[in-house]
Amino acid sequence: MRVLAIDSSTSVAAIAIAENDHLIYEIYVNRDKTHSQKLMSMVESALTHAELTLQDIDVFGVAHGPGSFTGLRIGVAAIKAFCHATGKPAVAVNTLDALGFNIPYFSGIVCPIMDARREQVYTATYIWKNGCLMRQSEYMVLHIQEYMKFLEQKQGPILFVGDGVPLYGVQFQKYLGDRVLLAPFTCRMQQASSIAFLTLQDVQKGKVTDYNFLAPFYLRRPQAEREYEKRMEK
Amino acid sequence: MDMHMVSTYSEYETEKIGKQFAQYLWAGSIILLSGDLGVGKTAFARGLARGLGIEEPITSPTYTLIHEYTGRLPLYHFDVYRLNDVEEMGDIGYEEYFYGDGVTVIEWPQRICEILPEAYLTVEILKAEQDNVRNILFQSKGFKYAALLKELNLI
Repeated sequence: MRVLAIDSSTSVAAIAIAENDHLIYEIYVNRDKTHSQKLMSMVESALTHAELTLQDIDVFGVAHGPGSFTGLRIGVAAIKAFCHATGKPAVAVNTLDALGFNIPYFSGIVCPIMDARREQVYTATYIWKNGCLMRQSEYMVLHIQEYMKFLEQKQGPILFVGDGVPLYGVQFQKYLGDRVLLAPFTCRMQQASSIAFLTLQDVQKGKVTDYNFLAPFYLRRPQAEREYEKRMEK
Repeated sequence: MDMHMVSTYSEYETEKIGKQFAQYLWAGSIILLSGDLGVGKTAFARGLARGLGIEEPITSPTYTLIHEYTGRLPLYHFDVYRLNDVEEMGDIGYEEYFYGDGVTVIEWPQRICEILPEAYLTVEILKAEQDNVRNILFQSKGFKYAALLKELNLI
């Protein structure tokens, strides 16, 4: 089973090709958000270097959100096109799940934080149990102040990962103290190998999607909540 | 609200004002652009784009809601006239633009007043009595834009 995985949910464009328990190819570019110009040539060079063609791919994995709306649309549209052309199925992987997977077997809480603008982050909390990554919360979009209060209730070490780390990591550290750890750049950002791994895991569980039903997962505050907040500001 | 007014005598001059204006903008600036049909909003936007070093043709995003350009700063040009509901701005992820790394220009801003940022600069292009003469009125909201207006006084 061969998978080609794409993550374009942030300023990172990432592509990986994996075959069963073997990572064949992985690339990561974090330079200006020009995914629409770069992604296709990156896929082309991935296939060339892996000595494969699109027909050799059995399933396509994509980070479908949350994340940058534009980025998500580019990634999802690209995967839809590949599935349409090859007749192969797709797997939609949650971006936060994949970020959590960047930090295997951590003994505390793993918190992916992704910039959602205006001091808000896309997030969820995870723990590792018996070698499995278990999500402990809803997928949320929270103001960092709210999130600090939420995490204050939790015990044990907390590791932050994602593009929110350079923006808000220090603030979390100041508020929550030295039990806060920040992922170094080697594993901080989106890695397509995580998407590839989780895609294969979903394939084993039979969780593949017809590309026609593949859609970006935009995470937004409920309208009522936003209106309430606006009223409170006035 | 502070204000500043400039008169122009041709479309070319309106464009030139836009171009000069662009040099004072920063990543995250919000410009609300209004004026009647055919008054020169696109000419002003084109000038602004040229001032940001964008050489592509600039067209009105009436049917597409947003056009994105790459220059010294990215330019996000919105025309929200055809929006049915302000909620649709959420669907296109407007926060990535308004609170992003570029210059945002919004035409028909009154249609989305619920979600406008706290501070911005309004540019209103008004027809004068004589043909081809335009009065361009700049007004600021928030201290950053008040400071920008002071610099505009030098134009």
